[in-house]
Amino acid sequence: MANNTPPVIRLRGLKKRYGIGDAENYAIDGIDLTVKRGEFIAIMGPSGCGKTTLLNILGLLDHSTEGDYKLDGQSVKSISKRKQARIRSRQIGFVFQSFNLIPRLNVIENVALPLTYKGVTKTKRLKMASAALANFHLNEREYYKPYQLSGGQTQRVAIARALVNDPSIILADEPTGNLDSRSSHVIMEELADLHKRGNTIIMVTHNPRLTTYASRVITMLDGKIDTDTMTLAALQKPANQKRALGKHSKKRKPKRKKK
Amino acid sequence: MRFLFANHAQNAYQSLRSSRVRSGLTMLGVTIGIASITAILSLSGGASKVISDQIKALGGNIAVIRPGVVQDPISSLTNSNSHRDFAASTLTEADIVYVRNSEHVQSVAPIMILGGTIKADSKAPDGTPIVATTPELASISNLQVRDGQFLDDSISQDTAVIGTQLSIDIFGTESSIGKTVTIRGKPFTIVGVLKLQNDPINYNQVDFDNAVIINFASGKSLNRSVAQIQQINIKADSTDNLNSIINHLNQVITASHKGEKDFSILSGDQIAQPTSQPFYTIAAVTTAIAAISLLVGGIGIMNIMLVTVAERTREIGIRKALGASNGGISWQFLIESLAISIGGGIAGYVVGYIVSFGISTFLTFDPIINWQIATTAIVVSIIMGTIFGIYPAIRAARKDPIESLRQYS
Repeated sequence: MANNTPPVIRLRGLKKRYGIGDAENYAIDGIDLTVKRGEFIAIMGPSGCGKTTLLNILGLLDHSTEGDYKLDGQSVKSISKRKQARIRSRQIGFVFQSFNLIPRLNVIENVALPLTYKGVTKTKRLKMASAALANFHLNEREYYKPYQLSGGQTQRVAIARALVNDPSIILADEPTGNLDSRSSHVIMEELADLHKRGNTIIMVTHNPRLTTYASRVITMLDGKIDTDTMTLAALQKPANQKRALGKHSKKRKPKRKKK
Repeated sequence: MRFLFANHAQNAYQSLRSSRVRSGLTMLGVTIGIASITAILSLSGGASKVISDQIKALGGNIAVIRPGVVQDPISSLTNSNSHRDFAASTLTEADIVYVRNSEHVQSVAPIMILGGTIKADSKAPDGTPIVATTPELASISNLQVRDGQFLDDSISQDTAVIGTQLSIDIFGTESSIGKTVTIRGKPFTIVGVLKLQNDPINYNQVDFDNAVIINFASGKSLNRSVAQIQQINIKADSTDNLNSIINHLNQVITASHKGEKDFSILSGDQIAQPTSQPFYTIAAVTTAIAAISLLVGGIGIMNIMLVTVAERTREIGIRKALGASNGGISWQFLIESLAISIGGGIAGYVVGYIVSFGISTFLTFDPIINWQIATTAIVVSIIMGTIFGIYPAIRAARKDPIESLRQYS
């Protein structure tokens, strides 16, 4: 784990309000969070606790009402919309629960889509997309349409699409939500593999079993962070032990209140 | 950016292909509009070309004086000018004298067109023109006789020259020399029959095949001694002197008309502007059809693009999440509407030519093919695609990515 690098994401007092007046409702109600490069964070919590909203804000698709969000040390508010689109294109990879492939395009075109917004030539685009698909053993499916694939395959295509740009942050919103446990396992193995290669992954999930793959588990409740824990797997690494021990002097306590 | 553009174009192609009937029907609106424009332009261009070719063939040293001020082509296309036939001409006999006395003028022929019954063995069709002019018209307009002779000052005033077709219509034969024709109740002896001209569109605005030509003086006496001059034809002794004649006459005639410039002197291509009445009516009607169908076609494009944007809301959300900027999204939809309008435009250009070649089989001239018409067709369709596509494109770009992703999920 790279402890010395500056945090990729730094949230301070982040709030997101929906509605006005009587209908006012905070989907996110004051979140402080620091994410370091190379972390694999699983966010859990009941429906409606603001997980997806948080993920959307992290991915620059949504904007907070209050608070500060620094991405790579730069406050997001100071970044123009155009630049934000560039960041989405180059630094962030999205994986959705409902896959969100474009049904009109075939598999390889879907995977190559983020590259078009980066300005890559067509031949190069297809080459890169083909290489990304090869990582997921989907080479034979390149010219299939999304509806011709199984759920697990579709999600692997979606992950390949998220990765084709080589983004530094991968945001996954219940990537296994629609899949059976075997396909889920395959997907999680892929994500864990990406994590090992140094990518920062933030994943929203309902399934507690999947948190074993993560290095840090955050649970949310009513728009606030409820718990923030290093997982066992992460703690086995000496660098993390030192960090966990040094700060809290409680050995291997898996849960700790943030506040 | 260039790659993005190529990608958008490919995308538009795929998206239009995936809903072929819908795209085809939308294009049809544009096609009809552009086809009408192409047909009008190619036929009117063809008609102008006929006249300018005639002028060139006559040596290019011809000028004509017409009453009234010539309008620009656009307003004369929409204003059919019918009142001109009934208004008293502003040209007078004195003007003919001014022209005749000018330097470098080789010959002058006033043209006075009268209506009225023409009778011989059978009655001539209604509207057969009676042209009163001087003998010089034959040399200026290169009118040749197949039998007999043209008008001549040395023979009796009550003589007439007749067009071949009119001769057949009223006498049943082409050789009608020596026979008598009654014009407005006055008998005229036929001294010549013209060669078949077969160009109803010419700068004299008279179809000589169907006309009877009499002396200017006789024409005046038929018209209660009033000269009603529609046009004065001037032939210069050389092309180089034409401009100096025109300048001189402009000054002299303006002065004699008490400073009012109520006439125009035209030369070269200016004469070629087609002025015939039915042509204007057709052009005006087709212009109206073209304008309406372009408007309706444009609204169709906008409608379909709004439907497409609504249908693809989710795709917009996905693309934004993957890094498309608002500009990128609006370009995508703008290019799609441009693809519809340009596709319809090209089809319209082709259909327009098929129509105008079809029409031209009933006419004496062919439509012209030139780059101006092609450019007009393309530019009009690009403008349409942009005007009617920009609003749906902006709407697409303004969609909130999160709302869009939530659709149908």
